[in-house]
Amino acid sequence: MTNFLIRRLFQMFIVVVLASIVSYALLYIAPGGPLLGLQQQQQGGANRITEADIARIKARFELDLYMPVRFTRWFVGFPKEPIKIGDQVYFADLQVGCATTQTVRLRYPDGRVEFAEICATPVTLADLAGRRSSNGILFGDFGLSQVILRDRPISTLIWSRLPYTIALMGISTLITLMVAIPLGVYSAVRQYSPFDTAATTVSFIGTSLPTFFFGLMLILVFAVLAKNAGLPYLPPGGATANRDYTIPFFGLFELTVKARSFLDMVLHFIMPCLVLTFVSVASWSRFIRSSMLEVLRQDYVRTARAKGLRERLVILKHAFRNALIPFITLVAGILPALVAGAAITESVFNWPGLGRLLVDALNRSDYTVALALLYVTLVLQLVGYLISDILYTVADPRIRLS
Amino acid sequence: MSPKLKFPLSGVLLLVLLVPILAACGGGTASAPVVETVVVTAEPEVVVVTATPSEATDSTTTPPTDEPVGQWRTPHPILSKLEVRQAIAHCTDRRALIESVYPFLEDDQKDALLMNTFLPQGHWALAPDDKITIYEFDPEKGKALLEEAGWKQEEGSSVRTNEAGEPLTLKFTTTNAAFRQTWAAVLEQQLLENCGIQIIRTHAPGSWWFGSTTGLQRRDFELGAFAWVGQADPGGTTLYACNQIPLPDNNWEGQNYMGWCNETASRAVIAANNTLEREKRIEQYHILQREFTADMVSLPLFNRFEAAAASNDLVNFRPNPTTDSILVNVDEWELADGGDTVVLGFTQEPASLWLVVEDAAVANSASGLLKVRAVTSFDYDYQPAALKELPTIENGGTVLTLVEVSAGDTVWSVDGEAVELAEGVEVINADGEIVAYDGSPITLNQLAVTFEFPPMKWEDGEPLKAADYELAYNIDCNEESGAISLTVCKSIADVEFRDNGYTITYLPGAQWAEYFAYTLGTYSNLFTVGAYPSHQVLADGRKLADVPASEWSTLPEIAERPLSYGPYRLVEWQKGQRMVFEANPNYYKGEVAIKTLIIEFFDDTNQAVAQLLTGNVDVLGSETLGAGPELETVLAAAEAGQIQAFPLASPTWEHMDMNLFIR
Repeated sequence: MTNFLIRRLFQMFIVVVLASIVSYALLYIAPGGPLLGLQQQQQGGANRITEADIARIKARFELDLYMPVRFTRWFVGFPKEPIKIGDQVYFADLQVGCATTQTVRLRYPDGRVEFAEICATPVTLADLAGRRSSNGILFGDFGLSQVILRDRPISTLIWSRLPYTIALMGISTLITLMVAIPLGVYSAVRQYSPFDTAATTVSFIGTSLPTFFFGLMLILVFAVLAKNAGLPYLPPGGATANRDYTIPFFGLFELTVKARSFLDMVLHFIMPCLVLTFVSVASWSRFIRSSMLEVLRQDYVRTARAKGLRERLVILKHAFRNALIPFITLVAGILPALVAGAAITESVFNWPGLGRLLVDALNRSDYTVALALLYVTLVLQLVGYLISDILYTVADPRIRLS
Repeated sequence: MSPKLKFPLSGVLLLVLLVPILAACGGGTASAPVVETVVVTAEPEVVVVTATPSEATDSTTTPPTDEPVGQWRTPHPILSKLEVRQAIAHCTDRRALIESVYPFLEDDQKDALLMNTFLPQGHWALAPDDKITIYEFDPEKGKALLEEAGWKQEEGSSVRTNEAGEPLTLKFTTTNAAFRQTWAAVLEQQLLENCGIQIIRTHAPGSWWFGSTTGLQRRDFELGAFAWVGQADPGGTTLYACNQIPLPDNNWEGQNYMGWCNETASRAVIAANNTLEREKRIEQYHILQREFTADMVSLPLFNRFEAAAASNDLVNFRPNPTTDSILVNVDEWELADGGDTVVLGFTQEPASLWLVVEDAAVANSASGLLKVRAVTSFDYDYQPAALKELPTIENGGTVLTLVEVSAGDTVWSVDGEAVELAEGVEVINADGEIVAYDGSPITLNQLAVTFEFPPMKWEDGEPLKAADYELAYNIDCNEESGAISLTVCKSIADVEFRDNGYTITYLPGAQWAEYFAYTLGTYSNLFTVGAYPSHQVLADGRKLADVPASEWSTLPEIAERPLSYGPYRLVEWQKGQRMVFEANPNYYKGEVAIKTLIIEFFDDTNQAVAQLLTGNVDVLGSETLGAGPELETVLAAAEAGQIQAFPLASPTWEHMDMNLFIR
C-alpha cells in the first residue's frame, strides 16, 4: 500500500505539472486581457495613451514576459531576479520578454520586402528585480487577481466563495446519493415495471434538460409568476435576501422571512439545489440501474438465489456491492465538483459560489483566477481518483493495491 | 567562507532549461534580411498651420482622400470613390436597422436614435442640418451614384459589376455580438436588394477586432462596424486628424481607421481642441462635421437604446446617458413610501474601489458613493455640483496668462507631451496656431484653474484639508500607482493646495478643453473633489500618507474599504453578493434621506430582472439591463404600472467605417 501511495503521488505530481503547463499555455494564447478595452476608447487629449503607458501596464500584468518565464513565475515563483552567488550576478542580461515592439521593413537579399515586428525594448532578468511576483501556485500562493478583485489575493476570493459552493454541492450530492442509489437499484430489480418506466422517463427528461433552461423555468414559475399570482413563492436567486419579505399562503396566513435568517437561507437554497439534484439523480440512477442489471445477470447472483438466500440479501450483499465498483469511479468526481461548483446553475441562480467565479473569471479574462480554480480542481480530481482507487479495495476485497 | 546561494540548485537547473526556450522565443529569421527601421526621422522644419479655418473655406479645394505621407499607397479600388461611399449611405435604411434590434420601440423613440454625424442629437456641438450632408434612405439616388462610378447592374444579376466584370463586393467586418449580427444581416440584405452591393459579413471575436495588433488597429477591413461612446466633450482628434491614421510608419498609433485625411477637417478638429472658447469650438466642430458627412468615410448608424428601471416608490431618480453613473444625484433620492433602504442591481462586481486601477462603470458607481462630485455631466454638458460655479475663464475662476518661453523651458507640445523647448518642437501658441520652435521666443497660454469647495469631512469626522488633496495628487499622478494614462498629470506645472481646494497651474501650451472640470479626482476617473485621508492609519500601523504608490492598489483600506467623504459609507462587502452602504452622518450636505443603500451583484440579466419584478431589487441601471430581450420585459412591466422605466438614447453609437486604402 505504501509503495502504491508513493508511486501514485509521484504520478500525480507529474500530471499536475503537465496539466498546469497545458492549461497555462491555453489561457496564454487566449485572446483578451487587461489591455483589450483600450482600443475601444477614444484615446485623444486627456485620455492619450502612449507606448510607454502601454509598456508600463504590460509590465504590471507580466504581459511583457515570454510564456515560459511567466509560467515558471506563476508555477514556482521563479525567476524573480538574476541569480546571485556571493557578489557575482549571473544571467542579468538574459532576455525574458519584450516591453515594446517595433515595425520594421525587412529587405531580403533576393529583393523581397516585408514588414515584421521586432522587439524594440527587451525585458531582461535584471528588470524583474522589484516586480511583484507570487511564490508559486505549487507552494500554495495563488497570486493576485488581475481583474475580478484587482491586485488583491486570489485566496481572498476563493475563501469568500468556498462555503457557498461546498454547502450547495455537498447537500445536493448527499441528496442525490440518497435518492439515486435506491432509485437505481429498485429500477433494476423491477426492470420494465411501471415504476421503472416512470423513473426512466423522468431520468431522460433530467439528463436532456439543459440546466440553465430548467433553472430559468423554475425562477419564472416559482418566483415571478407565483409572486404575481399571490401564491407562495421562492426567492429567485442569491444566497440571502437584502431585506425582510413576506410570503402569502393562500390567504390563510403570511410568513414574514427575516433577511439573512436560517429560513431565508433555506428558501434561497431550494431552487438551485433542486436543479442540481434533479439532474444528478437522473444520470446517477441510470448508472446504478445499468450497473445493477449487469450484476444481477451474473452466475454468482443466481448461485446466491439457488442457495436460498433471501432476495433482500442477494440484492444488497451480492449484487449491489459489486455494482458499486464502476459507480465509485463516478463518485471520484464528487471531490472536485464540491469545490468547482456547478458553473451554470450558480450563474442562473446568482449563487455566490466558485463555479460562478470561474465563469466570471473566464468572461472577464481574469486568467490568474481561472488558472487558480483550474489548478485546485485538477489537484482535487487527482485526489478523488486516488480515493476511489482505495475505495475499490473496500468494495471488492479481491482488489489489492501494490 | 562559502558563497551564499540566492537560489536553490533546482532554480538554476530550471533556468538552464529556460535559456534555450527563451532563445527560441526571441529567435531571428533564417535568411538574415537587412532590417530597415520604418519610423521617419527627417529633420524637422518649421511649419505654420492656420489653426482656425473659416466656415467659408471651400471644402472642394482639398481632395477628400489626400494621401498622407507614409500612407498605405494603394487606394481601395471600390471605396476610394466618393460616389460609392455615398451610394452605400443612400442605400442603407437606418430606420430598418433600428427596427431590427429594437422592434418594441415607438416611432418617435426610433427617430431619436438616428444619427447623421458623429455627434448625437442634442449635443452642444452638433451641426444644424443645413450645414451637413444628410443621407436620406434613397435607393434610386444610390443606384444613380453607382452608375456614375461605373458599377452597372446587368439584367438578371443581383450584384453590380464594373467594366472589367468584377463584382461590387465588399468585406464587412464587425464583432460577433448577437446585437450586431442582427442588424448586420438586415444591412446585408438592404445593400444587395436596394442597390446591388454585396457585402460578405465576418463576425469576428471582439478580442481580434479590438486587439492591439489585429483587426481595427491594423486596419484589416473594408467596411468595419463598431461603436464609439459619445461624451460631453466631442474630442475627435485621434479619430479624424490626418496624423492619426494607424500605419506601420507610426507603429500603428492613432484611431483614424478609415485612413481619412481631409486637411480642412483635420485642421478643424485640431483647432477645436486647441481653443478654450466654446463658440470657436462649435464653429470648428461644424466644419469637421461638414467635411465628415460630405466625404462619407464613416456612416453613422444609430445610438443604441437603453433604459434604466426603478421601483414605483423611488423619487428623484434621474438616469442620464452622459453621467458616469445612475447614482450621481443619489443624495436627492427619496422613497415615496417612507422606506429607508434601496437595493440596486449590478451585473458586475467592482474589481476595486480604487479607481486609479479600475474604470468599470460599476466601480465608478460604487466608489462615487464615497466621494463628492465637483462637477456633473448631464445631457452632454457640464454643471457645477460641489462647486458654486464652474471655474471658467469668463467668470475668473480660471486665469489664462500669456508667458514667453524660450529654449530649455518645459512646455506642453502638440504631441501631448511635456518637453523641453528646443528647435523643431511643435507647440500651440497664444493665437491657437501650431508652430514649430525656431529659436525665437514664443508666447504661449498658461492656464491656472482654481477649485474651491465647501467645508467637508471624512466619515470619521476629520475635516478635509490641504494634505488630503496633496496626497491625491501625489498618488494618482505617480507612475507606480498603476494608472493607465497620466497625460493630464504630466501637463501640470504646479498645484497650490489649500484646506478649501487647490489651484492647478498647467504647463505653458497645455490647453484642456474641459479644464473647468479637471479636478484632482479626474485622474481617478470621476469629476470628484479628489482627496485621500492623509490622517488614516492602516491595519499594519502605517499612515496612509507614508505608503508608496505601488502598494496602494493592494491595500484593503483603499481597494475594499476606503474612507468616505461622500453621501454614504461602506459598511460591508460580501464578495460575489453585495455591498452595503449606510448614510454618512458627516456628509457636507447633511445625512441623506435613504439610510441604507445595497448594491447586489448579478451575473445574469434575467436574474436581475426577476429580482426587480419580485420587488427584491429597486433599481437597475442601463449597464445592468443591457440591450437584450430583458429590456423589452422591463418596458412591458413599466407599461403595466409595475415599475418605472426610463428609456434613454445611449451615448454609444454604432457606425460603419470605410477603409480608403489597402495594403
